[in-house]
Amino acid sequence: MSTKIEVQNLKKSYGSNEVLKGLDLIVKDNEVVVMIGPSGSGKSTFLRTLNKLEEPTAGKIIIDGHDLNDPRVNMNQVREKIGMVFQHFNLFNNLTVGENVMLSPVELGKMSKADAELEARELLKEVGLEDKFNAKPQSLSGGQKQRVAIARTLAMKPDMILFDEPTSALDPEMVGDVLAVMKKLAKAGMTMIVVTHEMGFAKEVADRVIFMADGHIMEEGKPEEIFGNPQNERTQEFLNKILNV
Amino acid sequence: MAKIKKTLLSIVFSIVILFGWSVFNSNNVNADEKVYEIGTDVTFPPFEFANDQNQYVGIDMDIIRTIAKNEGFKVKIKPVGFNAAVQALDAGQLDGVIAGTTITDERKQKMDFSAPYFKTGVVMAVGQNSSIKNFQDLKGKRVAIKTGTAAGDYAKSIQKKYGFKTVTFDDSNNVYNDVTTGNSVACFEDQPVMQYAIKTGAKLKIVTKPANGGAYGFSVKKGHNQELLKKFDAGLKKIKSNGQYKKIVAKYLGASAVASQKAHKTQNTFISLWKQNQGALLGGLEQTVILTVLSIFFATIFGIFFGMLGVVPNKFANGVSTTVIYIFRGLPLLVLALFIYTGVPNLLGEKIPAFVAGIITLTLNEGAYTAAFVKGGIEAVDGGQMEAARSLGLPYGKAMRRVILPQGLKIMVPSFINQFIITLKDTSILSIIGILELTQTGKIIIARNLEGFKIWTMVALIYLVIITLLTWLSKWVERRMKG
Ligand SMILES: Nc1ncnc2c1ncn2[C@@H]1O[C@H](COP(=O)(O)OP(=O)(O)OP(=O)(O)O)[C@@H](O)[C@H]1O
Ligand SMILES: [Mg+2]
Repeated sequence: MSTKIEVQNLKKSYGSNEVLKGLDLIVKDNEVVVMIGPSGSGKSTFLRTLNKLEEPTAGKIIIDGHDLNDPRVNMNQVREKIGMVFQHFNLFNNLTVGENVMLSPVELGKMSKADAELEARELLKEVGLEDKFNAKPQSLSGGQKQRVAIARTLAMKPDMILFDEPTSALDPEMVGDVLAVMKKLAKAGMTMIVVTHEMGFAKEVADRVIFMADGHIMEEGKPEEIFGNPQNERTQEFLNKILNV
Repeated sequence: MAKIKKTLLSIVFSIVILFGWSVFNSNNVNADEKVYEIGTDVTFPPFEFANDQNQYVGIDMDIIRTIAKNEGFKVKIKPVGFNAAVQALDAGQLDGVIAGTTITDERKQKMDFSAPYFKTGVVMAVGQNSSIKNFQDLKGKRVAIKTGTAAGDYAKSIQKKYGFKTVTFDDSNNVYNDVTTGNSVACFEDQPVMQYAIKTGAKLKIVTKPANGGAYGFSVKKGHNQELLKKFDAGLKKIKSNGQYKKIVAKYLGASAVASQKAHKTQNTFISLWKQNQGALLGGLEQTVILTVLSIFFATIFGIFFGMLGVVPNKFANGVSTTVIYIFRGLPLLVLALFIYTGVPNLLGEKIPAFVAGIITLTLNEGAYTAAFVKGGIEAVDGGQMEAARSLGLPYGKAMRRVILPQGLKIMVPSFINQFIITLKDTSILSIIGILELTQTGKIIIARNLEGFKIWTMVALIYLVIITLLTWLSKWVERRMKG
């Protein structure tokens, strides 16, 4: 198995507030990593540095062998291969569902418009929304929006996808549909880093669970290790809190 | 939708090109003959004023035209107002000024004068029933004067001694009105001007002997246009010796002439006033519309450009945008217009036509407001939209064009419509640099017939009609864009 993502001593500060305090992580091909941790611990920030939506303050990120510190690396090309799914979906409000999915492959010259449309219809079918091709995002439920967002990401044929709390803005009855799509992706071998508190999802598909707190990775291991027998005091405390709500 | 956009764009472009061409063309008609641009006052009867046909007549006008004809040159009269004329002359925007300009040592610092062509003195006039007889009676009272005139300077020079206050106006008409309405108790004015005003209807009487005797001269910018000055002097000598000069003066100050002018003043109904001035007002409207369309066009381009500079991820570009918006939104439109019209030629040594100066002024000012709301509109689009687009690998420009701008534009549409209407209204301020648009046309008509209320009502109604049309047009475009 080759290395997809390698992070060395990654740091990020906003002004004097150091949010990431030196993270190290290696994610292999086909691996599914679930990231948990209290609010404000830096999970979103970490994901966003991986595709440089945030510029790291220090450290090294190597994606598929490309060192992102290297000025010759074309970040747009790197991003094509890293999908990202956001907590609040961020569908393009000025476009229809179909256009959302087709936009980047067509704009970036990956496909003709006709091919992109076929592809988009196929992807929407996979996420169970083939009938929404011409709908406006505003007319969809949260769960539907998130599935469109996943289809939009898949349209770029990414090597890996970053999920930042993809279900936490959803009504409970919508969560299942989105998780089902994500499980399908995981089982098909997609490399994924998923920030989520859905323990069921983590137990079922995660190869590894990472617990993050205060800008550090506190503990990592197989799901059954972290959930069944956490070693770190902070991990125990956190799991107690979220399992006993 | 795309089709409609294209059609609209091509319509706008053809309008702009058409106007651009006509402006360019009209400037070049007389390119082969020497045409001097001569500034004068909006109204300073009997020396310069617009007649019933809105043509400029008067002693000054007849003198300069007669001399021009005799000496073989052409003049283009620019009734921009006394002050603006003097400034424009200094800025090199005008070749000469003939506006009842009293020759003074102070003015000689900046201008070269012709030989005196008319002798005069300052008199004081008061309301017909006023008990004020001399300067002593003015103590603690208010006196109306016209900005930048020798009569005004004279009033100021004795103001301390007699203890009165002065209030200044830009044209004579307002000076007289201020006295007849009782806001001021007296006004100071050159004798022939005052005499003529009273004979033609101003309800005032002269109570002092002419003082501070002086003389009017034709002027050019110091050290410039010397051959024009020579031609004027030679021409003046000629018309004085051949009797033409006498005829001109008699035409305006002789008893019969004045009587006929006065008799002309019949009662004016709204309808008859409209009929008399329809041509002039519609001409003014046309200028206003042309100014508005061109200014909106350029201000929109300017605004979108500098608004975009304000949001791109580049500190320098952001700084440029902020500065441009700060400066041109901060400057009063009036100041900006005068600065560009009189200041820029001083810097560049090139004349710019008032019309072009006007378009530049509006482009900068309205463009700055447009830039501010373009910037605001783009910033109002949820930041997640840009992040999602970038995370898919779209470069900044593509993300902007395909995702952010379409959403931002929707937010901006009401501001655009609002700005178009403001631009239309702001064209009226360009009257200050003598552009004959609707407001300036109104001013000139009123200077002649003193029918302020009725004419301003007409002007106001015309503005309301075109603002309504513009609003409808904008709403129609807005609906089409949504559809
Ligand atoms: N753009 C920013 N500017 C300044 N501070 C920021 C910015 N983004 C995040 N932070 C700070 O960084 C810290 C970590 O934020 P982050 O969003 O990464 O946490 P998180 O683990 O994702 O939390 P949550 O579970 O609430 O999403 C927080 O203290 C937050 O206030
Ligand atoms: Mg977060």
